[in-house]
Parts: sequence; structure tokens; C-alpha cells
Amino acid sequence: MKRRQGWLFFIIFLLTLSIYLLINYPLQLGLDLQGGSQLTLQIIKEEGKVTKDELDSVNSVIDRRVNNLGVSESNLQTLGGDQLILELPGEQNPLAASRVLGKTALLEFRTQKEGTSADLKTLQYQRLNIKELIETYSSSEKSQFDDNFIKIIQDDLKEIEKELNYSSASSDLYVKLIEIKRYIDNKIANLFINTDLSGKDLINAGRRQEQTNSNWEVLLTFSNSGGEKFAEITKSIAGTNQLLAIILDGESISEASVGSQFATTGITGGSATISGNFSAENARELEVQLKGGSLPLPIEIVETNTIGALLGSKNILKSLYAAVSGLIFVGIFMIFNYRILGFVSVLSLVLYGFFNLALYSLIPVTLTLPGISGLILSIGMAVDANILIFERIREELYSGNTLTRSIDSGFQRANSSIVDGHITTLLSCFVLFLLGTNFVKGFAATLGIGVLISLFTSLNCSKTILRFFTTYQSLRQKNLYLPRNNFSN
Amino acid sequence: MKYNLELVKNKRKIIGFSTFLILLSLLGILYSTFNTSYKKPINLGMDFIGGNELRIERACEEECSKLSPDSVLENLREISKDKNVLNNIKLQFQNNNKIISIRTPYLSIEESNNLITNLDNIIGPLNYESKDSRLIGPKLGKRLLTNCVTSLLVSLFAISLYITIRFDKKYALYALFALFHDLFIVFGIFSWLGFILSVEVNSLFAVSLLTIAGYSVNDTVVIFDRIRENLKSKKDESYNETIQLSVNESFRRTTFTSITTLIPLLTIILFGSYSLFWFSLSLSLGIIVGSYSSILLAPSLLLKD
Repeated sequence: MKRRQGWLFFIIFLLTLSIYLLINYPLQLGLDLQGGSQLTLQIIKEEGKVTKDELDSVNSVIDRRVNNLGVSESNLQTLGGDQLILELPGEQNPLAASRVLGKTALLEFRTQKEGTSADLKTLQYQRLNIKELIETYSSSEKSQFDDNFIKIIQDDLKEIEKELNYSSASSDLYVKLIEIKRYIDNKIANLFINTDLSGKDLINAGRRQEQTNSNWEVLLTFSNSGGEKFAEITKSIAGTNQLLAIILDGESISEASVGSQFATTGITGGSATISGNFSAENARELEVQLKGGSLPLPIEIVETNTIGALLGSKNILKSLYAAVSGLIFVGIFMIFNYRILGFVSVLSLVLYGFFNLALYSLIPVTLTLPGISGLILSIGMAVDANILIFERIREELYSGNTLTRSIDSGFQRANSSIVDGHITTLLSCFVLFLLGTNFVKGFAATLGIGVLISLFTSLNCSKTILRFFTTYQSLRQKNLYLPRNNFSN
Repeated sequence: MKYNLELVKNKRKIIGFSTFLILLSLLGILYSTFNTSYKKPINLGMDFIGGNELRIERACEEECSKLSPDSVLENLREISKDKNVLNNIKLQFQNNNKIISIRTPYLSIEESNNLITNLDNIIGPLNYESKDSRLIGPKLGKRLLTNCVTSLLVSLFAISLYITIRFDKKYALYALFALFHDLFIVFGIFSWLGFILSVEVNSLFAVSLLTIAGYSVNDTVVIFDRIRENLKSKKDESYNETIQLSVNESFRRTTFTSITTLIPLLTIILFGSYSLFWFSLSLSLGIIVGSYSSILLAPSLLLKD
């Protein structure tokens, strides 16, 4: 009896500890419970596997970009070697983040090939036309959207396509316009030769509104060596008809001439501006991308989940109803069928619940909807262990054994079945956790933790509580353990 | 309260019933593979094929006005600049026209935002706090599918291995047969649900199959344990009688366990979030079929003629 008393104190100690943990380290709620957005980013690599270094450097670039965006409390983690998961809690629109994250943002400075002036002029003119078309199209109201209007744009577009000897395969007008613009930007970029100055030579980027009009421009600040390279490059083309182009992801965003006054020293001072008719939003996006550096590999956003905050709190409430009512009904069922034993199992279930939640806050496990269903399901499994034991105890009692003996051998004989059952479930959880997605991992984690704790609560806590009860003479009558009408059986 | 299931007498009926269930599932799977628009054994949801799913509540003052999906779609077509988005769109109203649920092929975040703005113009105001939107690219979908199938195969293999080490061959074989029987029937039921009620399966369905696998094996192991124990201790009774006795002895435990597991699942179905509805249902079905196969089917297979 001494030994069991020790266990009793240990259990009470654990319970106090759990409650302390839960009060001081609140549970972490997943986005489906608190609202927010989650983006899954896939690193694209044509050949071979993404290496650890590549993953890390993509991770840090994305991290810098997200921070520069001014998103609060974001959480970025890697998943399975070539994916990243970005969580934006609260009411944040994933749109802004997605725009900034998706681009490689490889910045290059190129000088014009000699003898391409005429080609460049034509292309620049075509680009101007297409830009106008895009502007007319996107600024027009729905009411102006009649067939005639569409036809004018389509005809103009066809004209340009004919000149370029290139046409877009898309059936959507807007997509077509954008694609043709990209094609032109790309062709322009190809009229220029790469230099050794690139986005790597930047130490900062900023933006400001142009003085003459409402457009924005992006300011670049070079490192020392970058500033020297920039001076060198500008010196080489100063006063000639060669232009300097700033290329972002293979498309020219700005071409500028360098005045002859820079022919001796080049443009010094280590800074430059890009003015390419940026809107405030575009300028900010470019600023964030340049500050974060370019991605070593392109990424694609392959999954976006957004859950409103109201829906999240509704989900918490619903899960709480389900869990509590599940516990109550299971409790009623157990007490009805097993009387005092049922009451013992209810007590050990309550302990089970506390230990589980305390472990979640300790590890920590982020609680999600599938996670909660794993927890609720594991209640059923925890009760199963109790049922196995109680059935054995009943059998022993029926065959005329004393209460203490029945309890002892009940626990002993149910042992192997309980361990077996728990191991098969743990195997499934383990596989789920290794191979599953983020979503599935939550379920596997809570079910797995539940199964482990249930081994302790059902084999140990139930036994200790039962032993404690049976120290009282009044609680040792057999009819408290067996339904009366069956006792004569 | 002694239970007296007459296994020996009813062996044929039990095996016949299981054969019937298996054939029915097979029929559903075959029909689904050859005669539906999706041509798959089961109706794969957007977790596996990619797409865009949006649920949002309308902010109505009292009752929400009645709207027909067709007229809303027509308005959407008129207002949208990007016509491609509206191919293959599915739109539904739920909860007395309060909730709009939309499915489209994969959209970018920008396109999805445009769709919501347009929707707000037509049937607004919408309650953005209640938004539930999921966008899954087709590439990721394929990957999730392979992931799920691999996890299922790996864990089935691990469970089989464990059972084979733990029991001798005959027991292991029948326990595994009962396991595959359960999984096949649940899969079959969802094949039927797929073309009758257009119920789709997502990664949570794969999770439920895995959980059912663990559960079903557990149930069968408990009964087989009892059979082994009794075969050793009760040498005076015949083999078949001992098996029948063992099943009756563990009958209470198995049904009680199923009931205590079903209770929380039912509370999730009744009170829980809609996103867990089909998951809890498939788990419940698995537990019911699993208890049947461990109490009646697996021991019947052990009986000698």
C-alpha cells in the first residue's frame, strides 16, 4: 500500500504541474482556430534535388522580404526539403505578401550593344503602345466594356503582334497584353550586354515620389565596390549613344543615357535611381525585393489557406462543445456500465485531458482542427484501455475472487492487449508524422501523444485511484463494482 | 449478462455477408472508375487535384434573401474581365442562403481576390471575418496524393510486419484480411458517395483510413489474444467451441470500446466544424465495420469445418 501512496502523490504533483503550465504557457492555436493566412512556397529546381544550402538561403531571403513588408508575427518554416510554409496570423491579406515573394528579383545592370539604337527605338515605341493599352483596359469601368471597346484594343494588339512577329497563345485579353509587354521587355533586355554589377552589390534600397509628376522611383545604394563598378560602367558609356539598362528578372525596367559630363569619372557617389513609371505599390514591392536580395532559385506559391478570425473563434467554440460533450457522454456511459470503476475511469480521463494539454504547451504543439480531432479520438482509445481492464476485473469477481486480487490480476492480464493496441496505433501515427503534410501532422502529433499518455493514465493512474478508493471499507462492497441484477450470475 | 453468439452455426451467413459488402464496394469502385466524369476509383477532392475553394458568409441583417446560383453566375460573367476564371465554376448556397460556397479550378491569389470583390458587388455585403479560402496548385495536389498513398502503404506494411512477428502465420493472415476488408469497404462506401452525393475525399480521408487500420488491427488482436489464451487453458473443450467462447467473452469489451470511440466522433459530427464532418463520418464507418469484422468475421475464418 505504501508504494501506491507514493504514486498518488506523484499524480497529484503532475496534475498541479500541468495546471501551472497551462496557466503560464497558453496553448498555441493554429491558423484555423485564430484566423489568418498560410502560404506554401515550393522551390523550383529543374534538375537534381534542392540542397540544404539552397534551402537555407531561399529561407533567409524570404524571411528578409517578409520582415521588410512590415508583417507582424509572421512565422516561416521549412517543410520536407524543398518547401517553405509562411504563416500570417490575423487579418492580413496574403495578396501583398504573394506579390513580393513570388519574384526572383535578380537585378542586373547592362550596357547597350553597339549598333542597336534603331531596334531599341522601335521596341520602346511598341512598349509605350502596349502600356497605354493595358492602362486603358484596366482603368475602364464595367459599363464601358462593350464589344466595340474590346475590339479596338484587340485590333491595336494585333497590330503590335504583327510587328513583333510574335503572338500570345492565351485566350484572355488581359493575359495577352501582359504577355506581349513581357516579350518586349525581354527583347529589350537582349539588346544589352551584362556587366559585373548586380543586385549583390546593393546595400540598401528605398523609394520616393518624383518631383515632376506623381510617379515613384526606386533608390539604390551600392556598397563601396559596387559604387566603383557603377562609376566604371557609367564612365565607359558616358557621352556615347549607348544606354544603361536596369534588368529585373530578365526584363528591362529602365533604360537611361549617361551624360558626357561623366566621361572622366563616371557617376560617383555610390547610388542610382530607377524611374520606370512606378506606382506607389510597385515601387514598394521592388524596394522590398531588392532589400531582401534575389532568390537563388525561383519559387512558386502552391497553396494558400485563408481563414477569417470570426470563423476561427467559431471553430474553437465548436471543438470545445464537441470535446466536452464527448467526454460527458463517455463518462455517463462508463459510470452506467461500470459503476465505481466507471467513476475511476472518468477521473483518469480528466487527468488524461490535463496531461495532454500540458504537454501541448510544453513541447509546444500548435493546436489545429485536425489536432483537436486527434485529441478527441484518443479519448476513445484511452477509455478502451480502461474497458479492457474493467472487463477482466469483472470476470475475476464473477469467478469469486476477492476484490484486491481481482483488481491486481485484471490490470496484469489486460496489459498485453493494451500494449499491442497502443503500438499499432503509434505505428500509424509515426508514419503519418513522417510523411504527412502540415495539416496531417497536427492530427498525428496529438493522437500519438494521447496514446502515450493513455498508457500511463490507464495503467497507472486508474490503478492508483482504484487502490486509494479500496482503502475505504465502505467502498469495498462488490455490488459497487458489478450491476446488482447480475451479481447472482 | 452472458452473450451467446452462435458463430459456428452462422459461419456461412457471416462470410456471405462480408462477400456481399466487398462485391458492393467493388461495384462502386468499378462504376466510379469507368462511368463517372472524373474516371477515378474515388472522387478526389481539391487536396489532390488542386483548385480553389471559397466559403464566405453574407452579412444579412435578418434573413438572407433567396438567390439562384445561375443568376449569380450570370452576373459574375458579366462583371468579370477575366472570363477564364469562370469556366468550371461551381456555386452553392447553404444555411438558408447565408453561406456561399464556390469551387473553381486553380486561381492565383490575385484572381481569387478579384472573384471575391466581384461577388461582393453582386450579392454583398459579405462578412470577410468568416472567410474560408483554400488555393491548392495542381503540382502540390499530385504530391499530396503520392504522399498519402505512400503513408498508407508504409504503415500497412509496418502493421503487417508487427502482426506477423507478434502472432503465428495463420492468425496474422486473418487479422490482416479483416483489416483490408474494413479499409476496402470504407473506401467503397466513399466511392458510392462520390458519384451519388458528389462527396470528395481529401487528405483527411487518407488519415481516417490509416486510423481505421490501427483501430481494426487492435480490435482483432484483442480477440485473437483471448482465443490463444483460452486454447491453452481450456483443453477439454473443442477448438470451435473455444473460439466461440472467446468471442463471447470479449464481445462486451469490443462493443463498449466501439461505443466509447463512436460517442466523441458523433459529437464532432453534430457540434464540430464542418471541415471535420466527412472525416468523422468515415472514421465512424470504419469503427463500425471494424468491430463487425473483429467480432464476427475474423474468428469465423479461424473456425474449422
